Amino acid sequence: MAVDTMIVLPGDEVPQDALPTPTGKKKQLTLGPGLRHIPPSTVASTIVGALVTDDKKVAAWIESNSGRYLPTAGDLVIATVQTSTAEAFNCTLTPHTPYATLPHLAFEGATKKTRPQLAPNSLVYARVVTATKDFAPELTCVDPSTGKSEGLGPIKGGMVFKISLGMARRMLAGSKGGVVLLEALGEKLGFEIAVGRNGAVVVDGGKVKSTLAIGKAIQEVDEQALGEKAQKKLAERVLKSV
Amino acid sequence: MAPEAILSHLHRADGSATYTHNGYCIIGAVNGPIEVLRRDEMPEEATVEVNVRPAVGVGSPKERHLETLLHSTLRSIILTRSIPRTLVQITLQVRSLPDEESSTGVSPSLLLLPHLLHTSLLALLSASIPLSTTLTAVLIALPSTNTATASTQLLSPTAQELLRAKPIRSAHVFAFSGEGKLLLNESDGTFSYEEWDEAAEAAQEVCCKEDGGVGLGEGMEVDGREGQNLDDWLRSVVRTKVGHEQRWKSTS
Amino acid sequence: MPQEAQISVNERAFIQDALKEQLRLDGRAFDAFRPLELTFGDEYGVADVQLGKTRVIARISVDVTTPLPERKFDGVFQIITEFSPMASPAFEVGRPTNAEVVLSRILEKAIRRSNALDTESLCIIAGLKCFALRADVHVIDHDGGLIDASCIAVMAALQHFRRPDVLVEGEKATVLSIRERDPIPLSILHQPLCVTFSYFEEGELFLVDSNLAEEQVRDGEVIITMNRHGEVCQIAKYGGAPVEPYALFNLTSLALQKVKEMSKFIQERLDEDAKRRNAGGLLAELSAENDRPFDRPVG
Repeated sequence: MAVDTMIVLPGDEVPQDALPTPTGKKKQLTLGPGLRHIPPSTVASTIVGALVTDDKKVAAWIESNSGRYLPTAGDLVIATVQTSTAEAFNCTLTPHTPYATLPHLAFEGATKKTRPQLAPNSLVYARVVTATKDFAPELTCVDPSTGKSEGLGPIKGGMVFKISLGMARRMLAGSKGGVVLLEALGEKLGFEIAVGRNGAVVVDGGKVKSTLAIGKAIQEVDEQALGEKAQKKLAERVLKSV
Repeated sequence: MAPEAILSHLHRADGSATYTHNGYCIIGAVNGPIEVLRRDEMPEEATVEVNVRPAVGVGSPKERHLETLLHSTLRSIILTRSIPRTLVQITLQVRSLPDEESSTGVSPSLLLLPHLLHTSLLALLSASIPLSTTLTAVLIALPSTNTATASTQLLSPTAQELLRAKPIRSAHVFAFSGEGKLLLNESDGTFSYEEWDEAAEAAQEVCCKEDGGVGLGEGMEVDGREGQNLDDWLRSVVRTKVGHEQRWKSTS
Repeated sequence: MPQEAQISVNERAFIQDALKEQLRLDGRAFDAFRPLELTFGDEYGVADVQLGKTRVIARISVDVTTPLPERKFDGVFQIITEFSPMASPAFEVGRPTNAEVVLSRILEKAIRRSNALDTESLCIIAGLKCFALRADVHVIDHDGGLIDASCIAVMAALQHFRRPDVLVEGEKATVLSIRERDPIPLSILHQPLCVTFSYFEEGELFLVDSNLAEEQVRDGEVIITMNRHGEVCQIAKYGGAPVEPYALFNLTSLALQKVKEMSKFIQERLDEDAKRRNAGGLLAELSAENDRPFDRPVG
């Protein structure tokens, strides 16, 4: 993935040569968050951030680490159930935003007779199915092709720790994200973790002390922008204290 | 003297900025896109709400007037159609004013306006609200003199400078978009069209980026003093912010 | 109207479990305040308080007006708190929330009714002219502890403020500008400060200075206002689950300890600020200002 450190402001036009060219199978350039298309051929930025391009996926977007999470299709999120209608649960992905819907049947093994019972303010790990500006975002707790939950569904126990949007992206990006903390901790500690693109991570380490230590460590890596070496040191400190 | 700005320092607001310049200090916060009250909801666009809180007291018609001006200017650069049926809430708290601001002879609202605009913009950028362009603003004061020439224009003057140049015949606030379009034009006092035109030109030079002309460090000489190009200043503030966010990439 | 977003069941259960194990999320002791920072503006009477993530700014301003007919010998003193959406999207302009009403009521009782400020000293000419003092409290960032932070901000701002001196000749009064005569400090009789206790486990467990998350999980709160001499100005408990009366005695002694620490902290910051302003040193010798003590113990 070619990482471009061109910093843009809203209104800046991205020159053609900075964008990946559609070749072969992919005929169109996909514009991700922060970029908009002004016909006929101008691509302009709408937020402040760094321009990032992916030649393989023929996509470009702006990476920014401040502001509220905006639902995007395909994202894994930690949703809070608020109310229930006849057909679906109404959930929020961030406080004070319009609801996202989670159909009652979008759970593994759910039928009209056996619907999941979720109390208000309970948490679910879900994936965003659709998110356009015209409709409420729709969530699901099953993989549409297999019908299995694949780790999605109601979250019981654990604790929520807020992280920046950038940190959430890094944690979901695998090795490219440069977060080695969890691996280092996982060598001695057992815990479950769910990372939501909406800036939250749920950690369950079984005990209060370990859960708290892991969550705070993640937040420290985020706030201090710790590199790999520093993360490993932090992991050692955490393991000693627990 | 360039303005100073700190971004994203508040914890509850989605975006925030503290802006200090010429004795004015304003804290701005933006929340959004968040849910909007049914009665304010617009089917195709976002609703924009501006709240100006003065340093002393809770607000009078003066603040409501400033809110109206800010609202129409900011609304024209926010991409409201990309976030319909939501609310973008902008709150500005004046933290301090220069001591002499009430005795300069220029309307205090007009003096405050460019700083409010800058604070709002920085807070919007901090909240990553989609914008079509950025904006910069400046106040130009024309003191009473016998010969009205361009060299007597006061560009973004401090309260002290205004006191010394009293009486001031007219004052003008101009705001330009990143592309150089005039977004806001508020004037107060007696002036001729030519004076206004010259003031507008001077404002445009201060606010907008030059086309292949003046670079960073080279200012224009106005009144014997180097002018500050605001577009450059904005870019340097943004560069610092993004650099800070991306610093994890360079640490080992 | 957007309500304050409620905490999830997972977080609620976790916070309660942690408390059972004597743990707070940020690792603080049950009776510890969050890190407190206090800075003053360039002009007199502006105090910026940071208590953990909560930030409150108080500003004192003065004007001349006619005294109330039933209080001819007193000046006017008002404390205005109005939340803005800056602190939290749940705050709507013009519609006071519960928290706002409680804050304004507590500050009213703690500072105004307890006569922290000697309003008689604000009188210029009895029945005709007096100073009207105004304390504006702006909540910038809300993470709980608004009452404690606001009280510190207002008291620090009052002690920092300098009002214009006034020359009275018979029935005529001239307010002297700063250039004519140095402004003088207010007459502060004592410094009330608030300590908010949040309780859990049906009154078995008390926490000092809870953040927003802890506030949402608590069973109720008790707010104690006192000064560093041990005089209690008020004890407030608005609803919430019942607590044992004798628990309040323990709370009061704990509150005294906290208030003494806070008072000392505020004084240190005021002294630092005074030193910074008086950097010349010579200025103090040239000043015609009388030495006035910042506060005198009552009784």
